[in-house]
Amino acid sequence: MKSRKTPPLARAAQKSAVIAAILAAWWFLPQHFRNMFLPPLNEIAFSFVEMAKTGEMWKHIGYSLSRALAGFLIAEALSIPLGILLGWFDKAERYLDPLFQVMRNTSVLAIMPLFVMFMGVGETSKIAIIVWGTFFPTLIVTIQGVKNVDPLLIQSAQSMGISRFGLFWKVVLPGALPYILAGFRQSAGVALIILVGAEMLGANYGLGFMILHYQQGFLVAKMFAGILTLAVLGVLVNALIVKLEARLTRWQEKIAK
Amino acid sequence: MSVNIVVKDMGLDYAIRGGGRKGGKLTALDGVSLEVKQGEFLSVVGPSGCGKSTLLYILAGLIRKSRGTVLINGREITGPALDRGIVMQGYALFPWRTVQRNVEFGLEVKGTPKAARRRKALEYLESVGLSDFAQRYPYELSGGMKQRVAIVRALAYDPDILLMDEPFAAVDEQTREMLHEELLRIWEATHKTIIFVTHSIDEAVFLSDRVAVMSAGPGAIKRIIDVNLRRPRAGGAVKASVDFSVLRNRVWRLLQNMPDSEREGAAPADSDISDVISDSATL
Ligand SMILES: Nc1ncnc2c1ncn2[C@@H]1O[C@H](COP(=O)(O)OP(=O)(O)OP(=O)(O)O)[C@@H](O)[C@H]1O
Ligand SMILES: [Mg+2]
Repeated sequence: MKSRKTPPLARAAQKSAVIAAILAAWWFLPQHFRNMFLPPLNEIAFSFVEMAKTGEMWKHIGYSLSRALAGFLIAEALSIPLGILLGWFDKAERYLDPLFQVMRNTSVLAIMPLFVMFMGVGETSKIAIIVWGTFFPTLIVTIQGVKNVDPLLIQSAQSMGISRFGLFWKVVLPGALPYILAGFRQSAGVALIILVGAEMLGANYGLGFMILHYQQGFLVAKMFAGILTLAVLGVLVNALIVKLEARLTRWQEKIAK
Repeated sequence: MSVNIVVKDMGLDYAIRGGGRKGGKLTALDGVSLEVKQGEFLSVVGPSGCGKSTLLYILAGLIRKSRGTVLINGREITGPALDRGIVMQGYALFPWRTVQRNVEFGLEVKGTPKAARRRKALEYLESVGLSDFAQRYPYELSGGMKQRVAIVRALAYDPDILLMDEPFAAVDEQTREMLHEELLRIWEATHKTIIFVTHSIDEAVFLSDRVAVMSAGPGAIKRIIDVNLRRPRAGGAVKASVDFSVLRNRVWRLLQNMPDSEREGAAPADSDISDVISDSATL
């Protein structure tokens, strides 16, 4: 299915119309109906610029991103290889899957206090909790991906006398790649969510800390500046991984986006 | 010519869900006996579900027979190998590989150096008119093109035995005729043994040395018919010949569960059928 080609400019307009309208409303409406909990967007923008100038904002962004990245990368580096192995040797997976399901479906926020209890409020516990929260989603999707490789393709490769290693390398891995990448993207989103929770639970830097800090100090414009920064970061990270996915799975038919 | 494939009293049961606590079994093939000579072109026809694909899978080494004997060059099949190639009913192209890299797959497994692999793949793609599509991905091809790629993928690594499961089902009549000629040309040039599953009686008779007619429930070989039409077979003339329609009719009757016209003496009144078959005069 090919989508009807829309000119790029029109596409960009379509994509940004609703958000632009909301931002415009946010910019103008609160100027007329003042509410101390919802400052107009220009004030928020002003706060952002101010914090950017003093370097405060960058420091928080830097802390948050490095935590999220560290936790996320450690988790992916563990879960993708493990998922591939468990998908391939699926006997072990049959025993482990129920455990993974429990882990995966237990809210990470609920067990966060546990991590703090065991590891304190330092960097270790923050990164550990992100590792924990992003490990299982990727793991489960990766296992599924390996198990779901089209058996016809496996047979086709086997009919050509391929070795077990060759089968794994040339058929199972590329066949599972779309799943693995989907898990990767999902986990990146989860990493940012957990990050904020961890930073709110006890930190001196980071966007989560910053948001909570200004909320408690009633500096609402600065709080919103933090929230919106997180939103933008989330969208950027997602877009980046979507790009990566598209590059690595060029061979997939593009259903009209 | 030496005997290449020997199947004797072979049967296959699939394990299926249901039918008792431990699951039941479905006997897909039972008492199948068949001998195929080195370099022979044998077609297999039979009703849907009679076990044609299953038979090919067993010969390919992808599934293991449940009983009986299957020998290739005197040896039991232990698994798939590069001496046999199968073109599967679905195209089973690797979607993440370009057309060319799909065709190279078997050569890669074989350990052919890159340059030689490339050259060979392009040569084969050229022969089926797909050289312009070498760098495309399978999703960008039509069904018929995919089928052609699947065929040359199996040909490229040069197996002695080619197992083909309805390889031309998805192509138009003209392309099919072109592919018939192409396949016969390759077969005559390479002396490969070909087992060719099809639903088209015309196709089976036109291409083959013999046609095996299968029956269902459980699948077995009902009768094997010799096709003594002279080769090379130029399409139009052969298909218009009396011999061709007599053979066609025989296969058709067998598939309809009617008695074999030759055995039951139900041949057309004006000719002795065995004469017609061996004479193979074209009109
Ligand atoms: N993996 C499987 N598990 C269980 N039963 C199977 C399996 N594959 C095939 N069968 C059954 O075995 C029988 C033979 O199937 P097969 O695919 O060999 O038929 P076929 O002659 O190739 O049919 P068609 O002409 O439709 O391709 C069918 O009854 C089918 O339901
Ligand atoms: Mg079949």
